[in-house]
Amino acid sequence: MKKELKIIGKPTPKLDARIKVSGEAVYGNDITLPNMLHGAILRTKYPVAKIESIDVSKAAQLPGVVCIITADDVDTNNISYLNDHPVLKKGEVNCIRDEIAAVAAETREIAQKALTLIDVKYKVKEGIFDPFEALKEDAPIINKFAPANNDKNIAHPFHYEHGNLQEQKDRSACIVKKRYNLPRVTHCCMGTCAVTADYSKMENRLTLYSQTQMPFLYQRDMAYTLKMEPSRIRIIQPIIGGGFGSKLDMYPYEPICALLAMKAGQPVQIAYDREEEFLASPTRQTMVIDISSGADKNGKFTFREVKIIMDNGAYTSWGATTPFVMMQTFSSLYQLPACLFEAYAVYTNNPYAGSFRGYGNPQATFAVERSIDLLAEELGMDKAEIRLLNANFKGEITGQRLEFISCGHRDALEMVIDKSGFDGKHCSTGVSQATQQNMKNSRSDTLVACGMSLKYESSSDKSVASTIFQRNSERYKRGIGLASMVHVGGGAKIYPSDGCGTTVKLDNFGYLTIITGSSEIGQGSETVLGMIASEELGIDMKNIRVINTDTDVKPWDVGVHASRTSFVAGNSLLGAVKKLKNKLSSKAVQLLETDIEDLEYENGLIKSRKTGESIKTDKVVREIHFREPNELCEESYYYEPDSKFQDKGFKGNVSGTYAFAAQAIEVEVDTYTGNVRVLDVHVAQDVGKVLNPLGLEGQIEGGVVTGMGYALTEELIIEKGMVLNPSFHDYKLPTAGDVPDIHFYPIETNDPKGPYGAKGVGEAPLIPTAPAIANAVSDAIGIKIDDLPITPEKVLKALKERIV
Amino acid sequence: MNFNITTPETTQELLAQISKHQENNFRFGAGYTDLLLELKKQPDEDLTVINLAQLNDEHFTSISELDDGIRVGTLVTANRITYNEVLEKRYPVLYEAASKLASRQIRQVATIGGNLCTASPAGDIACALVALEARCEMLKTDGTVIVVPIDDFFVGVKKNCLLKNEILRSIIIPSNSENSKLYSGFIKVGTRCSMEIAVVSLAYHIQSDENGKITKAGVAIGSVAPTIKFAKSASEYLIGRSYTSIGTSKAEEFATKVLEYTLPISDIRASAWYRKEALFNISKSIFESN
Repeated sequence: MKKELKIIGKPTPKLDARIKVSGEAVYGNDITLPNMLHGAILRTKYPVAKIESIDVSKAAQLPGVVCIITADDVDTNNISYLNDHPVLKKGEVNCIRDEIAAVAAETREIAQKALTLIDVKYKVKEGIFDPFEALKEDAPIINKFAPANNDKNIAHPFHYEHGNLQEQKDRSACIVKKRYNLPRVTHCCMGTCAVTADYSKMENRLTLYSQTQMPFLYQRDMAYTLKMEPSRIRIIQPIIGGGFGSKLDMYPYEPICALLAMKAGQPVQIAYDREEEFLASPTRQTMVIDISSGADKNGKFTFREVKIIMDNGAYTSWGATTPFVMMQTFSSLYQLPACLFEAYAVYTNNPYAGSFRGYGNPQATFAVERSIDLLAEELGMDKAEIRLLNANFKGEITGQRLEFISCGHRDALEMVIDKSGFDGKHCSTGVSQATQQNMKNSRSDTLVACGMSLKYESSSDKSVASTIFQRNSERYKRGIGLASMVHVGGGAKIYPSDGCGTTVKLDNFGYLTIITGSSEIGQGSETVLGMIASEELGIDMKNIRVINTDTDVKPWDVGVHASRTSFVAGNSLLGAVKKLKNKLSSKAVQLLETDIEDLEYENGLIKSRKTGESIKTDKVVREIHFREPNELCEESYYYEPDSKFQDKGFKGNVSGTYAFAAQAIEVEVDTYTGNVRVLDVHVAQDVGKVLNPLGLEGQIEGGVVTGMGYALTEELIIEKGMVLNPSFHDYKLPTAGDVPDIHFYPIETNDPKGPYGAKGVGEAPLIPTAPAIANAVSDAIGIKIDDLPITPEKVLKALKERIV
Repeated sequence: MNFNITTPETTQELLAQISKHQENNFRFGAGYTDLLLELKKQPDEDLTVINLAQLNDEHFTSISELDDGIRVGTLVTANRITYNEVLEKRYPVLYEAASKLASRQIRQVATIGGNLCTASPAGDIACALVALEARCEMLKTDGTVIVVPIDDFFVGVKKNCLLKNEILRSIIIPSNSENSKLYSGFIKVGTRCSMEIAVVSLAYHIQSDENGKITKAGVAIGSVAPTIKFAKSASEYLIGRSYTSIGTSKAEEFATKVLEYTLPISDIRASAWYRKEALFNISKSIFESN
């Protein structure tokens, strides 16, 4: 008999919702400690230069300045997993973020002022800002700490293959070759970077109030950098105003803050303003993707051959390992007999990239899904049909040996095709484009006349101008696009352990404390954990608290990444709860004079189903604590997913399970201005099982909007290594008014390994959005979209070139 | 960011403060939506801000009817313009420009005076007022009042014609002709729904008589030249024609005339090519109801 769930699957507000909306929440830059100083970092003026001298004497004399450090004052190891990134730069700078000196002062203003008094003599050098230039034979070495065994200026090469490529090419009826250019976008966390360091010399103990999303790896990295023992470092995570992958790595400002605190003997805080956040926090990788993909005469995919050049920037972060995720998409999204994949993270003097929600998958999925539309057009096949024909299936073991133990790929595709009315709307082959366009336009006129005019041009409904536009028939063109994705949904074994520890403690008043290794960065994981415990123990959510912010207290966890927290921390909690329940039940059976199978946990009570008798759970706890066996109601559990570390050829079942999603997106293109307006987004996602519908909705909507920005408006513009748009004025994050109707259809495949059948959901919603929008724009106006973002200017230019 | 602040409450106090600071560095603060950002970027240690928020002078603060038009005080906020039914009915171009400025929250504090005095080529309200051929009423420290046509108010990128001893107090918008039919609107091109700086903008205010003949026309363009431009020949092109009989080819002729006033730059927001192309298209679009 399937047990009816009481709280899992019911909309539950986030545990931290109240303090966040009321302003009570304490974020990184809200922390104040006694005698705390404010730190500021002097960054280079030029992206590439020799540093001839640094004179800090004037700055040191400024009243209120407590200490100043440069590379000469500190003894540190390089940071990053390739150890190619000095904390403070000595002798040379290689990118515009480079940290030359840091100041700790009594106020933020004094610290900023002091920076202006530091005199640095530069000898400006030519830089390399194009990864293809960096690969040339005569290019200079950009990072002198780069791994010696790689070819010049390659930070990290990747090679993957499966199947017989030549054989599959030979049997292809159609081969499409394309080059796609993907832009540099950034996370735009609402909470800017902030860290506070507090060092006790007497105890040789460093406490960092840090926004990291990987506290235990951060602790280890910090210790290595500062040449300390990891256990001497305590990481406390205040409430984090958004991570999205940006806080996977440790960045130089964090050890710099620690070094300032150590030197000053007082706590120091470094907090970025928005401009510094844009200049100095990581970005998604820009990529040039060359892909050739094939299909046989029936539309079955045959092969993908992919070569990717990623702009690594001057130093390496975890982001350089995004090919690890991309190869899953190239090898295993849709059934595929053969795949050859090469990727190179190439050093340049641009700002370095980091990891970002989706971790390479938005780029990879864009290349795959755009190419599928082109294959369908070449074959004269329906764009929905070709996808359904090749969809992944339950039980599939892919060429990369990913094991799809549950799979909602086809269901997700069918759902969005059906709900969006895709079949009646899209331009099927491109052959009868003109006729189809006419049909579409006449329909679009009816809708436009009903008042769905371009939002941007009619913020007032009564506007005279917009009524004029609404009757225009030639101007607006509609189109619809389809895309899908696969992503890890049960963690990702990239570290020796992908596990998570949990301790649960039930006190003798019946309140439960969950101490979890996992972290909350806004994704709603602590609420989901509370719901799981409430479901299992019959304890009200109000009586549950989650402790997850202190490495001195919480057990180990690898961190927030790979959409893993609900899956891994959820399973870990279930393990701990099961042990706790065993203890409670064995006492309860004595008190209720029944057997274990008869017990039920509900409303703070443990009940006997047979007799209807019950006992308060806290009473049972007291019986255990204060009488025989005199034990604590506290249990710990460590959960390790049964995923595998991949072999040297990157083969193996790297995740506990996999998530699938599909999106169908309708757009309207203004052919006068080139503006693309997203009308409707249909999202179907294989979430395994819905745990918290409210939290899930938030993840879906946020993801889609991030994907929209990636598709249409966002780009951190870099010219010769300089960031040209470090503000929300010119970095075009979509605004509330740009958000379209988002229709979400969860697909429940009840994964056998997930908690209650759930799988990871966090990254998926943004991954298919950009290719679906690009496919829709292409459908609307018949132009090929190979580059993101699809700016009004690109659209207008393409339309113009088509006419001429 | 540190500055001294002084808050005059009467016109007399205001003029006294301006006189007092003639030798010093001072700025006027009204809605502060631009000023604070600017000061944050370039802190100026000896700066005095003359805060206009508490000023009690109807010339600055009210919207009032005159014999030959409407006076709008420079401390009137963008939201107040959008809430004013008379302005909405008589000058849709102004109403629309005010509604498309930044975001609702910013419109709550941003003033018409700030939008004008910033003298940005992308100013939304400013562009509408140029199309309306408004006049700027400026007050000197000696109490005298000078009136200049708005077209003369802007003298360059971020430069207006105010002297250090002058302050802009009101805008006078001329009355529409009696019984005229209005074709009036503001088109702003950008990539987002809000928080946008115009990449191209077009303001038009066209009046026709009972017979449908256009008697007056004002067309202004933004973000395509160092200042907002009044497209004189395009405006004149319309006089005497019937609005409803302007078809595609005449609309394109009109758009071509609008382009005569452009001298666009290419920057991160858009290329000069795009600005002209989009301007041409939106210019012809205003007749497409025909």
